Amino acid sequence: MLPSLKDIEVDRIHSAATGSETREKRKVSVDMNPMVDLAFLLLTFFMLATTFIKPQAMELLVPAKPKMDDVEKETPIKESKTLHLILLESRLAWYKGITDPEPVMMPFDDKKMTSLVVKIMAETEGLVVLIKPLDESTYEHLVQVLDVMTVTGIDRYALDTPSEFDKSLGEFEK
Amino acid sequence: MSFKRTIRKAPGLDMNPMVDMAFLLVSFFMMTTTFKANLPEEIQIPASTSEIKLPESGICTITLGESGKAYFSMDNKFNRRKLLERMGDQYSVVFTEMQMHTFSLLNGFGVPIAELPAMLDAEHEQRPYNQPGIPTDAEANELSAWILTARLVNPNLRFAVNADRHTKYPSIHALFETLRDLNITRFNLVTDTKKTDAAQP
Repeated sequence: MLPSLKDIEVDRIHSAATGSETREKRKVSVDMNPMVDLAFLLLTFFMLATTFIKPQAMELLVPAKPKMDDVEKETPIKESKTLHLILLESRLAWYKGITDPEPVMMPFDDKKMTSLVVKIMAETEGLVVLIKPLDESTYEHLVQVLDVMTVTGIDRYALDTPSEFDKSLGEFEK
Repeated sequence: MSFKRTIRKAPGLDMNPMVDMAFLLVSFFMMTTTFKANLPEEIQIPASTSEIKLPESGICTITLGESGKAYFSMDNKFNRRKLLERMGDQYSVVFTEMQMHTFSLLNGFGVPIAELPAMLDAEHEQRPYNQPGIPTDAEANELSAWILTARLVNPNLRFAVNADRHTKYPSIHALFETLRDLNITRFNLVTDTKKTDAAQP
């Protein structure tokens, strides 16, 4: 008589086939909680301490100082091709040329400054912009004006020292 | 009466993925973080539309505070140590091993070199105070010496000017002239990002 399916002890057959004794394994457990706590603490710290916004940089090129024994080889520029930007304390004054300048005041406004430079660029070929910050002017405005130079794509501009006339504009503002 | 006995089990939640994630993020933040130079002054940098990123290494930053005080900082602690050794020789200031070590970990300072040992000995918390700025006046331009020596230590060093919005032009001009005198005609101005819509021609 064949044994009925009920009688077969499945477990025993299985263990016999694999050759392993069924025995209870003791679970080894390590308390992970302190580690996880620490991980989260570090995570919070680094998340708060990180600044993602990297500062941008503007490149500025200044002419090298002429050497002492160097003969002056500077090419003169026509004064009609110069645009003078004088940085006053809270406003910008601009004029073209040197003889009989007609200074115009304007606020430090990106759009207005850009359109001014673009307009004058279109009028004048080979325009040279001379940026002359007075002693009262701040770095913020200088960067603003230099940025306008970059945006408009003028390749000839220079930082210059203000003349007596330019300084008088600063007096006028007060 | 027979009641079915329900065995209460604590609802299990597999925490492993969360912990994995936490560690992943920790390692990410640890690797990407660079700590800011703690200078005594808060610098509000101006904004520009420039999109050039400041290089992360090989850079020396000269900071000008609102009142025109100059601070000097350079990356790489090994270079900082070499820089201090050279500057000590040049100005005949002797630094102890401990002071050298402190300096190599210091990212930014603004004191004349004669006062540097005392500053390095000070407690960490005390350090940001009483920093009068590095002298930049014509007869004793220590800033110029720092820059020159920094360049000797690392010939590929690039320079960045980090000035406050409200810094007046004369101190900016003085710094530009100092750099020009050292034949550094190309340098970076550190700025913030400005929204570009206003500046389109």
